[in-house]
Amino acid sequence: MLNYILRRLLVMIPTLAAISFLIFFIIELPEGDYISNQISMLRSTGESASIGRLEFLRKEFALDRPFVERYGIWVGLWPGPNGFDGLIQGNWGWSFEYDQPVGEVVGPTLPLTIALNLATILFIYCVAFPIGIYSATHQYSVGDYSFTLIGYLGLATPNFLLALVLMYLANSWFGLTVGGIMEERYIGEPMSGGKALSIVAHLVVPVIVIGTSGTAAMIRRLRANLLDELFKQYVTTARSKGMRESKLLVKYPLRVALNPFIADIGNLIPSLVSGSVIVSVVLNLPTVGPVLLGALQSQDQFLAGFILLFVSILTLIGMLVSDVLLGYLDPRIRLGKEGVRQ
Amino acid sequence: MENHLVEVPQTQAGCRVSIVLFFFYLCVPFAEIIAPYPVAKRNVDFLFAPPQAIHLFHEGKLVGPFVYGLNPSVDLENLKWIYETDTTKVQKLRFFCEGEPYKFWGLFPAKFHVVCPAKDGTLFIAGTDRLGRDQYSGLVYGARLSLTIGLVGVSISMVLGVLLGGLAGFFGGWIDSSIQRVIEIMRSLPELPLWMALSAALPITWSPVWIYFGLTVILGLLDWPGLARAVRSKLLSLREEEYAKAAALMGASPSRIIVKHLLPGFTSHLVASATLSVPAMILGETALSFLNLGLRRPAVSWGVLLNEAQNISVVTIYPWLMAPVIPIIIVVLAFNFMGDGLRDAADPYK
Amino acid sequence: MITRRFLNAALVLAALAFPSTSFALVLKETPGIPPGLPPVVDRIPKEPLVTYPEDMGRVIGVQGGSLHTLISRPKDVRLINVWGYARLVGYNENLELNPDILESVDNHYDKVFTLHLREGHKWSDGSSFTAEDFRFWFEDVALNDELNPIGLPGFMLVDGEGPEFTVIDETAVRFEWHEPNPLFLQELAKARPPFIYRPAAYMKQFHEKYGNPEFIRQIARIEKVRGWAPLFNRMDDMYGASNPHIPTLQPWVPRTASGERRAVMERNPFFHRVDNAGQQLPYINRIIMDVVDGKLIPAKTLAGESDLQARGLGFSDISVLKRGEQTQDYDTRLWLNSKGSEISILPNLSVKDPVWRKLMQDRRFRHALSLGIDRELINKVLYFGLGRAGNDTVLNISPLFQPDFQTAWAEFNPDLANQLLDDIGLTDRRGDGVRLLEDGRPLQLIIEITGESSEQDDALELVAETWQEIGVSAFIRPSQRDTIRARALSGALMMSVWSGFENGVPTADMPPVDYAPTREDFLSWAPWGNYYESDGHAGVRPDWPPAIRLIELFDQWLVSSSFEERDMIWEQILQIHADETIHIGLVNGVRHPVVVKGLLNVPEMGIYGWDPGAQFGIHRMDLFFFKDLLPDEDS
Repeated sequence: MLNYILRRLLVMIPTLAAISFLIFFIIELPEGDYISNQISMLRSTGESASIGRLEFLRKEFALDRPFVERYGIWVGLWPGPNGFDGLIQGNWGWSFEYDQPVGEVVGPTLPLTIALNLATILFIYCVAFPIGIYSATHQYSVGDYSFTLIGYLGLATPNFLLALVLMYLANSWFGLTVGGIMEERYIGEPMSGGKALSIVAHLVVPVIVIGTSGTAAMIRRLRANLLDELFKQYVTTARSKGMRESKLLVKYPLRVALNPFIADIGNLIPSLVSGSVIVSVVLNLPTVGPVLLGALQSQDQFLAGFILLFVSILTLIGMLVSDVLLGYLDPRIRLGKEGVRQ
Repeated sequence: MENHLVEVPQTQAGCRVSIVLFFFYLCVPFAEIIAPYPVAKRNVDFLFAPPQAIHLFHEGKLVGPFVYGLNPSVDLENLKWIYETDTTKVQKLRFFCEGEPYKFWGLFPAKFHVVCPAKDGTLFIAGTDRLGRDQYSGLVYGARLSLTIGLVGVSISMVLGVLLGGLAGFFGGWIDSSIQRVIEIMRSLPELPLWMALSAALPITWSPVWIYFGLTVILGLLDWPGLARAVRSKLLSLREEEYAKAAALMGASPSRIIVKHLLPGFTSHLVASATLSVPAMILGETALSFLNLGLRRPAVSWGVLLNEAQNISVVTIYPWLMAPVIPIIIVVLAFNFMGDGLRDAADPYK
Repeated sequence: MITRRFLNAALVLAALAFPSTSFALVLKETPGIPPGLPPVVDRIPKEPLVTYPEDMGRVIGVQGGSLHTLISRPKDVRLINVWGYARLVGYNENLELNPDILESVDNHYDKVFTLHLREGHKWSDGSSFTAEDFRFWFEDVALNDELNPIGLPGFMLVDGEGPEFTVIDETAVRFEWHEPNPLFLQELAKARPPFIYRPAAYMKQFHEKYGNPEFIRQIARIEKVRGWAPLFNRMDDMYGASNPHIPTLQPWVPRTASGERRAVMERNPFFHRVDNAGQQLPYINRIIMDVVDGKLIPAKTLAGESDLQARGLGFSDISVLKRGEQTQDYDTRLWLNSKGSEISILPNLSVKDPVWRKLMQDRRFRHALSLGIDRELINKVLYFGLGRAGNDTVLNISPLFQPDFQTAWAEFNPDLANQLLDDIGLTDRRGDGVRLLEDGRPLQLIIEITGESSEQDDALELVAETWQEIGVSAFIRPSQRDTIRARALSGALMMSVWSGFENGVPTADMPPVDYAPTREDFLSWAPWGNYYESDGHAGVRPDWPPAIRLIELFDQWLVSSSFEERDMIWEQILQIHADETIHIGLVNGVRHPVVVKGLLNVPEMGIYGWDPGAQFGIHRMDLFFFKDLLPDEDS
């Protein structure tokens, strides 16, 4: 097992190299860079006195070098203006927009990002389990159709719009602040009961919005898996032996539901960070989403690159974890022979 | 595994929704004829006009479908347009009529519409926007891009997925493992952030047509690894089936075996999963437009139209700006049900 | 004549300087001031700047309170230093230039400027503000190669030469040029001023020449920067409000504990202004800025979450804001946008293509384009008819305004426009009615636009429609600011859309920079501006008589000696613009919503602009205060 994990980790290195190159390439695709954009913006607002300072930054961050060299400097494989100093050396880069090291920009957003997405995942499971089980056992019944319809409605409504509408309603009905994560007066205050409550109240809308789009897929998968199992020989046998239907259900669905859950961990880990991007932008939640969008739009390249790379690494780790877990729980899947599994 | 459509109730539901989709797709070729107004037509006297209800009876008498006229005025105190419904002005709709001139497919000048407002009248079924553009016509034209963006994207993803997955699954060996690596790399790139990054990279100077193709390529490029994986594992199992082995023994070439013998084995499965990726792409387009990363005017898609609704407080005054959400929901639901139906038919749980 | 000008300038500055406090001004201690600070009398300069709110139509306020406002990106925290608007010399509401941080300025022929500081003036950390702070900036910052690779900023150079700098005593410094530098004082009063002084005591710790090398190395490591120069430049942020430790002279000081999404600014206990009741300004204790997505600003303002909001709101939000007034207890004021025009179409007079160039420089062509626009329609569709349809020129509240500047060639007259185009010889037409150029190409204008404002898009759609009637086809191409600029400079740009003249409310004393080809970022004539800016080393020499004349006039302004003379120069410049329709302006005088919640001393009506104006700056934000702090009995 350890051997397998080690081998997988080794394979990850070239994968990571390829990913980082791809990401850097994508980030640099748009014309110009942060500094040149900023300069023209300052010009148009008459703030041209700051331009000298920006030119200074361009040199400092080697934005005047050719592409491959810039990539090398970013990763730390090529000496920049101050020697080898990149991702490998632990320097995650500089955010021009925030005028801070990237780590300090991303760091504070992580707790909320993870909390929000964890809550969302819980919500998805809580809603999808009962509906999935019900519609599998009552296939083609009215209940099946109506629950599926409700589940799909959440999927079909554009997330950002649902978020906007719910936010507006939450403000006009319950007096919650428009967007944001807590009441105005708690910002910057130490944690207290009231503050925690306020945060929870503000998390309801985003959790529902992000959750509804995930529930439909989950229901569908659960239902399909369950249906698969329910018509298998052993179930029929158990039923013919007179086992009560409800007992039958409790015994098997749980076991069956475990597998897609584990297979999902691989996706869950990265979605802990990236799942809430759009909704966070709309609702102005201080998660990593708005930071990423802002960075992409203003071409704050090191910040955007770091976030993308960070999520990619999480995905790689997630895939590894789910493979290991699956192999552990399901002996039919032999580790190292991923090709055979279906 | 035999895989022909099995008559189950679910597929009937699938059929019904595909009829719904068919009607929506009629807008794609015939948008100019179905819409009462050309998409860029501005009615500067009717800015932010509310939807006009279609009536049948006027003062108890049947007159056929008609709308009451609108009297615009401006409220300078609150800076708002006010519209009064004038129940003395009965504007009878005309059907199969000559109306606003347009160029069919941008080529042939024509005037024929399925429905037109009365002469000197208006017909705003879903209201107008800030420049007095008819929302309903916008929706009809918008269907053209919104409904095809998913199809084109899925086609790209299917071609790539079948090709690469097929290669990997059939040949195995180093081809398999290198394609596996690529799939792994693609899958470890976060989807939504990557959409955003790639769309942000589309040059702003591109014309709407190019942006449209750029978006479909992006959507397709990021979607194929899932399909490729499915194709590959299906192939791996099918390869072991007797008929494939027999074909190989009889000296059929690999490509022939794939195309003639293996592909039909899971076409229906493929179609089902492709159908299920279409709605995700439609929604993706609206999200990108909302973030100002997608299509822009003069291109019109449902996402572009919804962009007007992003200022939620404006929506409270002019709620009809939300109208594009209705076709989006219907179409996405329809695709999902159809996909489910197709899949149930492909792999019946019986 | 020159003597008269000197006298004149000195008089203006002396007369407008506020009366000194030699009469008894009883100072009152600010309530709630942090303990450990010296009493107010020791905190303010010996001669503070005394403000008489009643003379300005305001009332004496009450100190205290926290003001909430919304910004759309973290960088906008810098606005605190714009709104605070404490400048060496600054504009007042009537756009007159007065000493502010300085006690007085002696201006000798616009060549020698002697700046007199206030005795006992202190930085926000309590250290003294003296001539050394100027010297440190000039000698150790501006002239340091490592910190400033490009050397002195442009406005400090006259014919490429910097000033001679002298420290006269603790409270007086002198800048001396050989030739006049009339831009010097104007520049110091800008919304984003060039800070020509630095808190020397604080900044010296990070300077190679003065600081402890070990200390610099350590801090550099903590701040993750490499070397002393980047460290110094990072700490040296007088404008961006990103370093809470750097002392400032502004009314509010960033607090250390501000978070990512929120910035808190506390009152500067050493601020140099007091009201005539002896209370130290600013009235408001604390400014709190919350970073929210730009799209949410109107919604949050509507929900009453901002006490003072102009940024992030636009004309189209007014109807929503007005509707929310009853429930949320705020007031939507409609200030006047001080731009020359809300939207301006700029033909590129220096376009490279010879056929187009000939056409663009033909005034009949520009007149025809202008006459082919239905401005009233645009005004109605975009602004409920509340703007004024007219050219891009000075607004009617400017002393330089003449009705004719506004209306020349600005009515909608397609017949006359067609006539003019026919006169030029553009009589051949394509099948769809588009005229043909003399070499057979269609008359299709490619208009480049930043695509950042939907109003510009909408307006152009309307313009393109009416231009069809005169046989002109317009193709609108979204692009990026710097791409447009680069294309203008290379002569590839044909036409662009921008907002009009930044300063629509000039007085004759303000330099007519925007109105002549003097800078390379003017899109109507970028290569000519480049030529002027680089003294002929780069760019293209203007070959169009009106442009040459405008430059002559601008140069004359630079050496003008009297107000009357400058007034005449301005008039001629504006007349040329009106006759030639160099910018095709659409609508001006559009209102900008300013939402005020529970604040007094915020003008009912004001101009809202960046330079001059500094947004709330010239309206003296330090005088704004909360109504609910007023004692009850005075109602």
